[in-house]
Amino acid sequence: MSEPIIDIRDLSKFYGKARGIEHVNLEIGVGEIFGFIGPNGAGKSTTIRILMNMIFPTSGSAKIMGMDVIKETKKIKSQVGYIPSDANAYSSMVVQEFLRYCARFYEIQDGEQRITELSELFELDLKRKIDDLSMGNRKKVSIVQSLLHNPKLLILDEPTTGLDPLMQSKFFELLRSENRKGMTIFYSSHILSEVQMLCKRVAIIKDGKIIQMEDIETLRKKQLKKVHAEFRDQVREETFSITGITSVITGPGNILSFMYSGDINELVRLLSANKMINLMIEEPSLDEIFMHYYK
Amino acid sequence: MNRNLFFKEMRRNALSLILWMIVVSLLISGTMSIYGTFLENQSKVIGMMSLIPKGALQFKGISNLNNLVSVLGFYAVNNVIYMMVLGSIFAIVLSSNILLKEEYNKTAEYLLTRPLTRSEIYFSKLAVLFLHIFLLNLVAALAGFISVEIVKTGPFSIKAFFTLCTYTLLLNILFGTIGLFLSILVKRAKPITTFCIGIVLVFYFIYTLSKITDSVSAIGYVSPFKYVNVEAFRPGYALDLWHLAYFIGISMVLTGLSYRLYQRKDIYT
Repeated sequence: MSEPIIDIRDLSKFYGKARGIEHVNLEIGVGEIFGFIGPNGAGKSTTIRILMNMIFPTSGSAKIMGMDVIKETKKIKSQVGYIPSDANAYSSMVVQEFLRYCARFYEIQDGEQRITELSELFELDLKRKIDDLSMGNRKKVSIVQSLLHNPKLLILDEPTTGLDPLMQSKFFELLRSENRKGMTIFYSSHILSEVQMLCKRVAIIKDGKIIQMEDIETLRKKQLKKVHAEFRDQVREETFSITGITSVITGPGNILSFMYSGDINELVRLLSANKMINLMIEEPSLDEIFMHYYK
Repeated sequence: MNRNLFFKEMRRNALSLILWMIVVSLLISGTMSIYGTFLENQSKVIGMMSLIPKGALQFKGISNLNNLVSVLGFYAVNNVIYMMVLGSIFAIVLSSNILLKEEYNKTAEYLLTRPLTRSEIYFSKLAVLFLHIFLLNLVAALAGFISVEIVKTGPFSIKAFFTLCTYTLLLNILFGTIGLFLSILVKRAKPITTFCIGIVLVFYFIYTLSKITDSVSAIGYVSPFKYVNVEAFRPGYALDLWHLAYFIGISMVLTGLSYRLYQRKDIYT
C-alpha cells in the first residue's frame, strides 16, 4: 500500500478516568471506502474528532495525507470533507447563505455551480431557513457542505440519520461516483447493512479498541458459518461444546442453530454422530458477524 | 484572523448590538433630559435628597449632592452607571457566548472542520467581541456627548467627558475578557450567561457595599468598578496610570490565558 491517507498510531483518548479509545491503530489507503463500525460509545466519534482536531489525544498520533492532525490541521481540512453525526447548521441562516459561507473557506472556482448542482441532486430548497428544515433536509445540507470543495478525503460520522431510503440510495450512488473519481471515504456507522453495501474494508471497534480489521468479503467468509442442523432425536447442547461453536440456540423440532468458526470437517464429523434430518450451512449476515465479535 | 468568519460573526450579532445601542442611547438621553428641570429646582431636590440616608445615596453613586449640579457630575452619576453596569453585562454576555455558543448550539463541528487554525477562530471572534464593545461605547459616548451639549448651561471639559468614557470602555473590555476566559473553562457545552451576569452584579454590589460601609471599604478593591474614577467634575481629572495598567494588564492576561487554553481545549458538541 502506498502512503496511507489516514495513519493512526497507538492512539488513545481518556476523558479523565473514562475511556474514549485505547491504542487504536488504523491505516487507510488512498481511494478506499473504509467502514468503521461499532455501537454507540465504542469510540468511533472520538477517533473522528481527534482526526478533525476537535479533541486532543491523550497519547499516540494521527496523520492525514502524511500531515499531523494537530500541527497541520488547516492544510488537512482544506482537503477533507466532514459530515457530522449530529450537528446543527446556523439555524438563523438560509440554506444558500450557509453553503456560500462554507464555500468561502475554500478556494473553489465554481462554488455557485457546485452548490446548485449538489442541491438539485438532493432536492434541497436553497431559499429556506435552516431552522425550518426537517432533520432529513438538515442532513442534506450537511452532505452538500461536505462536498463543496471536492475533498480528497470524506469523513462521515453516521451520515444517513434522517435520510429517507431514496435519498440514502442517491447518497450512496454519489459516494461511489466520487470514489471512482478518486475520493477516499471513511464511513463510520453502526448500521452494518450500509457498511456492507458501500465499503471494501472495515474496522470493528469495541470498548475503544479495534477488535477486527478485514476486507468486508473476508470478514463475511472468514471461517464463520451459520449452521442450522435438524436432528431426528433430541440432542443436548453440551454435545456440541467444541471450540468454535458459539451462539447456540435450540429451536423447535430438535433444531440446533449456532455460529461456527473452525475446520468444517470437524464440525461435520461431530454433527454426523447424531442422526440428522437436515443440515444448512450459510454465510452469516454482517450483523451476525458483528454480534459474534461483540460477544 | 479569518475575514469570512469575522464578517459572519459581525452579522450574527448585529441585531443584538443595534438593540443595545438603541436602549443605552435612550436611557442616557432620557436621563440627561431631566438635567434642566433638576437645575431649576436644585435647592428643593438637593434639600429633599439630603433627607435620604448617606448610604443609600452612596449606593446610587452620589458621594456629594453638590456634584450633581455640574453637568459632568450629573452625567457621571446618572449615566455612567448605565454603561458601567449595562455595558459590562453586554460585554460579558457576548464574550461568554461568542465561542461557547458554537459548542452548545452544535455548530462547532462545522466551524472546527473548516480550514482554520484555532488561532484564526479565536482572533476572529476576539476582534468581533472588541469591536462590538467599542461600537456600543462609541454610540453611548456620542449619545451622552450630544445630550450634555444640549442640556449644558456652561462650558464643560470635553477631555474629562472622554476620559470618563475611556474608563467605561476599559471596564467593559475587562468584563468581556472575564466572560471569554470563563467560557473557555467550561468543559461540557452549556450556556453560562446567567452566571456571568451574576458576576457583574456581584462585583457591582461589592463596589457599592465598600462605598457605603467604611468598615468593609477594603473589599471594594476586588471589584473592577472600584478602578473607574467617576469624579469627572473634579479639576485635573485624567486617566490614572495605575488604574489604566490594572484594566489593560488584567484584560491582556485573561486574553492570553484564554488563547492558550482554547488552543488545547477539547470541543464537544
